[in-house]
Parts: sequence; structure tokens; C-alpha cells
Amino acid sequence: MKRLLTSKWFIVLAVSLLLIAGIILSFLPGSPLKAAVGIASNAVSPAQKGVKTTGNAFSDFWAAIADGIAIREENKTLKEEIADLKYRLNQYEEAAIRYEELKEAFHIRDTFSNYDIYGATILSREADEWFSVIRINAGKNEGISLEQGQSYPVVDVEMNLVGRVIETQGSDSKVLPLLHEGFSVAGKVNEVNGASVIVSGDSVLKRSGLCKVKGIEKGVRLVPGTVIVTSGEGGLFPDGIPIGTIVSVDESNPVEVTATLKPFSNIGELEDVFVMIPFISDDKKEREPGVSESSAQGQGGQG
Amino acid sequence: MMMNQRKLIRKIVVYAVYILLLSSLQVSYPNRLGFGGQTADITFVFVVLTGYFYGFKDGVIVGLIMGLVRDCLAPIAIIGIDGTVHVTAGIGMLVMFLAGAVASSFFTKRMHRNIPFAFVSIAFITLLYKFSGHFLAYSWTFLVPSAGSYDLGVYEIVVRSSLLQTLLNLIAGIPLLVLLRFAGPVGLAEQRNTSDDVIKSNEDTSWLQI
Repeated sequence: MKRLLTSKWFIVLAVSLLLIAGIILSFLPGSPLKAAVGIASNAVSPAQKGVKTTGNAFSDFWAAIADGIAIREENKTLKEEIADLKYRLNQYEEAAIRYEELKEAFHIRDTFSNYDIYGATILSREADEWFSVIRINAGKNEGISLEQGQSYPVVDVEMNLVGRVIETQGSDSKVLPLLHEGFSVAGKVNEVNGASVIVSGDSVLKRSGLCKVKGIEKGVRLVPGTVIVTSGEGGLFPDGIPIGTIVSVDESNPVEVTATLKPFSNIGELEDVFVMIPFISDDKKEREPGVSESSAQGQGGQG
Repeated sequence: MMMNQRKLIRKIVVYAVYILLLSSLQVSYPNRLGFGGQTADITFVFVVLTGYFYGFKDGVIVGLIMGLVRDCLAPIAIIGIDGTVHVTAGIGMLVMFLAGAVASSFFTKRMHRNIPFAFVSIAFITLLYKFSGHFLAYSWTFLVPSAGSYDLGVYEIVVRSSLLQTLLNLIAGIPLLVLLRFAGPVGLAEQRNTSDDVIKSNEDTSWLQI
């Protein structure tokens, strides 16, 4: 018996079974293994941030040496560009004032006016090809907290869709990226009464940085170059967030036409993202007293 | 006794530094470690080399801790039976633990833990990991219809996933092997004098002193 207990393959089997039990339990809220990982995460995160900061500093320093001449040329071009941009800025400021006046006058709806936007930096990315999520440095401490079944859209600096927040901790959150096999969002062709589609991650296309487009209605013809945006169906994502463009259409199966989509957002190169958290404005609360806070927030699952 | 404690402290410090450093690099700069949609898994290769060169206990303990850190920094999210996506915990620990355990027994006695065979060990365990991963991912989508489909072809699985990952891991193994050899948990002089039997006998005592 003692020999069996000290056998290394018995230890391997026992620990593996324990870990498998832990993995299954981690699906449930309040799992002890997840709590342990959360505690370890708080301890490990500062070290990882330190390595990343040092790596970035080293990379910048090296780039400064390597690109010295190019930077000087670029500086000259940029100075000319700044002068041009200053001129344009003056014009746009004028235009912005006029836009505000028109907005008031014609009640133009600002698509994202009911969202608080939180900026965050990507801490860690997918470590391998299987199902990993992204971590960002904004969590409960920054006011991003999720109830069971909720999720928040994440966009890049140009408001292109990046993914959605699926878990928050003290100082970081986990984001399910657009290319992840479990991601799904309701989209539409970016035109008036554009056809509805479903954009989702796919294990094969993910390697090429592409997504799958399905749920294409009969009679709808998508062509390469068609721009797809979120449709707002499902309540999680507001409508009008750019997702990407159609790259190819597969009509080999007439019953289920599918297409591939190249996202606008290059997740592999992103450094900063923005979390969109819905809120109910005081005006709306006064107009619609029955509207609760939770009804304005997105539900989990497909957006 | 004092000498043993010093060796043990060196071991713990060196492993701790490598675990934090390699995990952080793996999740912070995956694009710089990647090619053709695959990323060299330096944490996985480190665990395999640790198990191969320093035995079962080092392999599984470093594997478990490396896996825990991996679960913290780059957790895996999968679609559950209810159709919603869940962030899991423990998959990284299980994978790294098994990698360390298998590496510690992969012809280590017959090959006397020689350096060229370390690359065979990396290749074999990477292929084992990749094929098992694809099989489990396929089985999961087969058992849980809401998890979608996992329709990778044979070419995708064998060439673009498994062989490419193996090649990248083998390349990543070169600097890691040099690091373990010259700045590893065991001093260079001691490595030369350490036979497989000594590693095996140390396994029974060294970690119990922590």
C-alpha cells in the first residue's frame, strides 16, 4: 500500500484527477480553484506588468537607436503635417460648434451617448492557439463590475469591435476577443435596412485572423468588401460599431451560405482598448420611470 | 546540511525567476514568439526541460506553478453545457503538470539525460500535447452541441498546428537549454558530477525540506 502511495504514477493520476475535478468545478461561481487562481493572479500581475514595462522600455530604446535617421526625416514631415493639422483643427472646431447646434435642433441621436467609456491597456494576450482570453488593466477598482450573465463591449481607439468583457477582478478584467471560438455577435450590412448576419469566431479561420459570417438570409448577396457593423440585436452591443469587411463568400452549400470577415481591429497589435458600459441618463429615467438600471445593461451570450 | 540548504535556496530562487520571467514574456509578446498563426510556448518547453534534466519532483512542481501562473495570466475560456462562455481555472496546471511528469520519465535513464535527446523529448511531448488538445477540443464540441463545431482538417491539425508548433518549440528550446545549463537551478560543476541515480535519490528528500 505504501509503495503504491509513493509511486510517482499514482501521484500523477491522483493530482490529475484532482485538477480535472477543479477544472469542472471552475465552471461554477465561487469555485475554490478559481479563488486560488484569483489570489495568485494578484501576486503575479505586478511582476508581469514589470516585465512588460521593462520589455517595452528596452524595445523603445532599441528602436530609438535603430531608427535615429528615419526619426529625423519623420520629424520634418510631422512638423509640416502639424501645421496642416492645426489649420484643419480650426476648421473642425468651427464645424463641431455647428454640429452641436444642429444636433440640438434636429435631435440627432448619438449612438454611443448612453455609454461610459473606460480606457484600458492590454496586459496579456492569448498564450497559444486554444481558447485563451485577453487581460486588460481595468477591473472592479475602476468601476467595471459584472453581474452574472452580463457583459460589456470592448472597442479599439477607432471604435472598432475588439471583444467583450466576460470576467472582472480587482484590478483587471478578462476580455473574450472577436476571434475566440466562443465569440458571437449579431451584425448587419452597413447600409440602410442592411441584411442581418451573425459574426462568430472559428477555430480554423482564427489562425488567419478571420471570423466566420453565418445566418445570411436567403436572397442576400454579400460581396467581398462589404462592411459589417453590429446590429444592436440582443442588447449587448449598441448598433453601428464597425466589425470588419467581408473577404470571401462560400456559396457551395446553397442552404447555408457562409462568408469570412476580416476584423477592422488588429487584436495582435493593439495596446489600448476601451470598455463601453451602458448607463441610463437622468433625462431618460425621468421620461421612462419604469426603466431599471439592469434593463439597460447587456445580457450575456450573443450580442 | 548548510551546503544542501544553499543549493535548495538557489533552486527555488532560480525557478521562481524563470517562472515569472518566462510566463510574463509568453503572454506579453506572443506575436514576437510566433509564426504562421502558432506561438513558441517557452513556458511549456521550460517545464519539459526541467523534468528531463532535473527529475520528477522538479518537473511536476515547476509544471504546477508554471501552470498556475499561466491560468492567472492567460486563462482559457470555453463554451459550457449551458451555451455561455466560462473562464476556467486549472487547465494550464494540468497540462504543465503532465508535461513535467512525462518529460521526467522520457527515456531519461536510457539516454542519461543527454542534451541532444532533450530535443527529442521536446518534440515528442509537444506532439502529444497538440494531438491530445485537438482530440479533447473535438470531443468537447461533439459532446456539447452548443460549443459549436471544431472542423479542423488533417492538414491543419498535423502540419499547420502540430508540426509548426513543434518546430517553434524546438527553436525556443535552444536558448532555454543554454540558460538551464549555465544559469540553471544546479551549478555547472555539480551537473557534470550528477548521475541519473543521484537525481532520483535527491527526489526523495530535497523538496520535502521546504
